[in-house]
Amino acid sequence: MTNCEWREKIGLYVDGELEPAAEQAFAGHLQSCADCSAAVLEQQELKKTVRLAAKRFTAPPELYASVQRQMAPKKTRGLWLRASALAASAVLLAVVAFAWISRPSASNATVAQLIDQHVTMLASSNPVDVISSDKHTVKPWFQGKLPFTFNPPELAAGSPFTLIGGKLIYAQQTPGAELVYQVRQHKISVFIFQARDVHGEPPAGNQTFVVNGWQQGGLQYYIVTDAAREDADRLRALLEDANR
Amino acid sequence: MAATVVARGDVSGLENKDFERLAVPLLDGLYNFARWLCGDPDEARDLVQETFLKSLKGFPSFREGTNFRAWMYRILRNTFLTSRTGLERRNTQQEDEEGFEESSVSPETPEIALIRRANTELVQSAIAQLAPAFQEVILLADLEEMKYQEIAEALDIPIGTVMSRLARARKQVREHIVLTLGGRRTVGVK
Repeated sequence: MTNCEWREKIGLYVDGELEPAAEQAFAGHLQSCADCSAAVLEQQELKKTVRLAAKRFTAPPELYASVQRQMAPKKTRGLWLRASALAASAVLLAVVAFAWISRPSASNATVAQLIDQHVTMLASSNPVDVISSDKHTVKPWFQGKLPFTFNPPELAAGSPFTLIGGKLIYAQQTPGAELVYQVRQHKISVFIFQARDVHGEPPAGNQTFVVNGWQQGGLQYYIVTDAAREDADRLRALLEDANR
Repeated sequence: MAATVVARGDVSGLENKDFERLAVPLLDGLYNFARWLCGDPDEARDLVQETFLKSLKGFPSFREGTNFRAWMYRILRNTFLTSRTGLERRNTQQEDEEGFEESSVSPETPEIALIRRANTELVQSAIAQLAPAFQEVILLADLEEMKYQEIAEALDIPIGTVMSRLARARKQVREHIVLTLGGRRTVGVK
């Protein structure tokens, strides 16, 4: 490690700051350097741990209201002749209430539960029950365990996504599938349930994890990840295509 | 994390009404950042309000091609630095960037297991003990998932300084965890 020429790239790699070619070269180096691999894993764990712990404080509702009030005069300029101050306040209150209610707090118990499941998976030394990058291995594993079926997408060569495996999970006392994918250094959980049992829109707004949810063919899908939203959208498109 | 970065080119022709659309989604993150900086809920609330006031006033001069999120965090940070608490923290906690080795991570890492065992309170305690210069950079990088360039813009420092402070901050957090849970010094930690 001490003499490894790559050591100074570890932080850049973990933070996704390397150019694609360098990132690929570094990933190749990790295959043969146990020291760098261990260091990268440690940095990733530390980064994840800090992220989870640092999200400590939530803005109180009155701050939302206060900030909205600050912006209100600009927003309503020219309208004051047509609207009473009372009506403006009511609208403002509704906006604030909507913003507050739709925040990613515990308002959506299902999504909160799935985020917990995703974090548990990330921290687990056994993140999946069936380990395979082959969808023809992972999909049959769920047979007899779930009252429904689904199609994991066929990943083309060169796809940024890699299937890691799957796991049987429960949410709202209902069985479902968790498929785990990897994109670069990030893991993505895809949760699949029967829509009649588990459903609900993912909360909008600022949240620690990207959550993407949709219904298709009577099934409810959720994607939870700390990867970029674009990655979640891309994987969603693949899943939608595979299950048409 | 949900992206609140305004891509370059997305800010042309913006009006004040757009400010709300761009800024409100950042409120929670700004407040969290402010709480870490101030350590006090009332001060943090005032700091965020002042940040919104200043940025709203300054929005007409917001330049196309500037990163909006970095701009907001920069205003918040600059406002904090001129506050009483900010001045006190700057005067009492000197940042130590001398003698930093780029990667002082130990390759022999049973520490990975310790990091995994670290509970939230322990990590929060480690973050809280960081000097402000290190604390803000690790929050922006690991919580807000800003790129180095964005952090450099938000903190008005060179990218090289972002990298060295970030590495140093992580090293100190790691050391705090390892020393607390492992009760011993580890190879590579000074």
